[in-house]
Amino acid sequence: MENLVVHNGILKTRQELELHYNPVKDSFWTRITKHKVFYIMLFPCLLFFLVFSYWPMGGLVLAFKEYGFNTGIFGGDWVGLQYFEKFFSDPRSSLYINNTIIISILKLFIALPFPILLALMFNEVQSNKLRGTFQSISYLPYFISWVVVVGLMNQLLAPNTGLINQMIEAFGGDGSTFFMMEEGLFFPLAFISYVWKGIGWDSIIYYAAIVAIAPTLYEAASIDGAGKIRQVWHVTLPGIAATIIILFILSLGDILSSGFDQVYLMQNPGNADVSETIDTYIVRTGLQGGQFGYATAIGLMQGIAGLIITIIVNKITSKKFGTSLW
Amino acid sequence: MKQSLRKLVISMVLMLAAFALVACSDNASAINTEKPEDAPDTWIADRTITGLVFQSANDASVDMNPEIKEYIKERTGINFELQTVTAEDSTEALASGLAAGDLADFTAFYLNNSGRPEMQLLLKAANEGMFTDLTPLMEDTETYSKYLDEDYLPADTRDNIMFRDEWDGASYLVHMAINREGGDAGRPTVGGLYIKKDIVEALGIDPLEVNNSEELYDLAVQIKNENFTDDNGTEITVIGPTAWGGSDRDWLYNDLVWTGISGEKFMKNDDGEIQHEAQTDYGIKRVEYVQQLMNEGLMTPEYYTMEETRAKEGIVNGSFAIVSDMHNYMPENNDLAYIPLGPIERVDGTNDMVIPYKSGYAGWAIPSTTEHPEHVMQFADWLASEEGKRLYFYGLEGRDYELDEQGNPIVKQEVLDLLESNPEEAKKRGYRGVGAYWGEHLGYTDMANEADFGELEYGSSVVQKDTSAATEALELYNYDERLENARVIDGMTVQSFLYEFEGDDGNLTTAFNRYNEDMLRAYYAKTLEEAQIILDESLTNLENNGLNEFLDFVEQKEADGVTIKF
Repeated sequence: MENLVVHNGILKTRQELELHYNPVKDSFWTRITKHKVFYIMLFPCLLFFLVFSYWPMGGLVLAFKEYGFNTGIFGGDWVGLQYFEKFFSDPRSSLYINNTIIISILKLFIALPFPILLALMFNEVQSNKLRGTFQSISYLPYFISWVVVVGLMNQLLAPNTGLINQMIEAFGGDGSTFFMMEEGLFFPLAFISYVWKGIGWDSIIYYAAIVAIAPTLYEAASIDGAGKIRQVWHVTLPGIAATIIILFILSLGDILSSGFDQVYLMQNPGNADVSETIDTYIVRTGLQGGQFGYATAIGLMQGIAGLIITIIVNKITSKKFGTSLW
Repeated sequence: MKQSLRKLVISMVLMLAAFALVACSDNASAINTEKPEDAPDTWIADRTITGLVFQSANDASVDMNPEIKEYIKERTGINFELQTVTAEDSTEALASGLAAGDLADFTAFYLNNSGRPEMQLLLKAANEGMFTDLTPLMEDTETYSKYLDEDYLPADTRDNIMFRDEWDGASYLVHMAINREGGDAGRPTVGGLYIKKDIVEALGIDPLEVNNSEELYDLAVQIKNENFTDDNGTEITVIGPTAWGGSDRDWLYNDLVWTGISGEKFMKNDDGEIQHEAQTDYGIKRVEYVQQLMNEGLMTPEYYTMEETRAKEGIVNGSFAIVSDMHNYMPENNDLAYIPLGPIERVDGTNDMVIPYKSGYAGWAIPSTTEHPEHVMQFADWLASEEGKRLYFYGLEGRDYELDEQGNPIVKQEVLDLLESNPEEAKKRGYRGVGAYWGEHLGYTDMANEADFGELEYGSSVVQKDTSAATEALELYNYDERLENARVIDGMTVQSFLYEFEGDDGNLTTAFNRYNEDMLRAYYAKTLEEAQIILDESLTNLENNGLNEFLDFVEQKEADGVTIKF
């Protein structure tokens, strides 16, 4: 009897209690063997990341080497920081960085609330059928390629013949404005088209997070006298805050990558000063001109900047909100 | 559950193993050089020759007709395969292909002249030993051995593309589409500015008398004031883009572009010094002209950006009074609604016809990794022979054509009918006459259609195809008279010396490209002052990247006896 104790309301022997507080750990390999099926299932994913994400990282060495078709990535001579010097000695490099950061800010910060707002709106739609229809309609543009989207924009905004200009003309205005060529309209148009294309798709994750919030919290808030707006503010938003923060940190890695296809397709002589970004510059000089080392160096710079910002913001959110990637 | 999981895992592992096996397997097929007893004299080897083509899908024409392939196999023993890379930009695809190093048995690419952007990449690859020396292989051939003749190739092809001094007699790139005889203008074609015929008639003008940008401006104002409408009753756009969409082509303002026929924006000034346009005031003059046209509503604001489909639609609807570039064979102009206008004089005051001594188009090379490269050369030579060319141009005897007493192919009427009624179906017959271009890559050279086939155009000896619009356009342009007085020139363009000057660096090349982009920006600048700032910056960029040293280099070349054509 003396060997028996009550633990959490259960009668246990002392040995069982000892095992509970000091469990005997299996060795690393024993644990792997025990769960081998899951490790085998994990293997293709690991292989994928190794082949397509980690292996290519070796090519970053090209940022410091001279590329030759015969010497390949690793065989060329070292050139030090030559490519970085070349980029920063280009008088327009600061322009490319500025443009990239502006577009990134538009996409990362300014566009952030829109899918959240849409998800909140979806949550308030009572009819499942109606909500499903709205969701389907809102995320369809995500599947349209940028080539088509920018083509549509060109058609709608064309001078004289475009729908917008014809409407302006119908109301007695001047219908000859070449909207796509206006430098001042590049950022707004890039922003609007970006939000239109991605808002539905991005809202899916937020909506899933909202659905996961316990209904009892809403009931409690309601009993406490909170109206709809108060419930959103005090229950829904705190409930999905972790999701918002995680998605935001993940997107920060692309802070110096403004998205190639949209910007490249929207580029024209009229907006060249605001639409040339690091991504388009890489393609123009690096790939089309066969200067792989130079393109790699700029790409490396983008990656490092993204990594540093992600680490910093992750640290801040970890301290301030208790949510972080790691 | 556990069993299902195990089955799933086993299937995944097997799939991975299969992938690994396929990826690592050696796919090189065997090469048998032993000639079978019953093989024809044209037999080369029993092997597969695969070509990787860095051109648009239509130009690459990789889907070959099985019967044509079978014929090639019977006659040469070669199983001919073509592959292409889908890419928005062929130069970009070539750069990636060269970097990947997997170039099949031969690789084909665009290469109009040595000033093309592909040239820098190809030279780098050739200099780094990626290609096989073709000179010894050409020596034993019928057609390609002509390339070794000093006078056969045009200067740019010979000295800049194929037999460069630093290669010391070796050659790594083959330039294609070389005419057998020099000064051959080929198919009579009138390109450049076109104007609506009904407008010409309404205004009572002679379109050939519009020869400079001022006269063109006056004409544009006149058209604008008359308030012409298109087929839909909408007000006409006076100056529209090219038939292929928005583009900066010289036809509209030839006399405001600092260039001759090369379009490279280099010319000699009054002191005999070579200058780039950025060093003259021609850039800003052109900007002023374009801005005047746009501000006065004479030119569509989308002149440089319009998509091809909308440009074509505009032509079909007669929405443009003037089209800045089209040609007399365009199907959209079969009713001759548009007739030739100008041409506008060049900056040196001439607007006569100039024919290159010979010109090339596209090229190919054999990677140094190709086994038995002599087979590729022998096969290319067979394709360029009379038999190979006839196969490529006319298809199979009996199926697609018959031979007349002189040995010239007479195209079957049923094929011509099919081509007329269903071009896509006709194309499946698989040869050039019906729109399949697989033979262009290795066999399209030493061209002399009249001598080889008894006709200049496919099928023209059988049916007088309705080319009345095209022919009438030629007549309106006084084509024959202009051809009679045409100058034949040979020589090298300024930009063909770029690689020799800067090697792999590419900074000046990038600066030249940037100048062209800056010109477009300047056209759309809000003010002339803003445009001038853009052009000044562009000049500084060119000079910082060695423009003046490059011009000295080219002048030295000229002093050494090289003919430079502007």
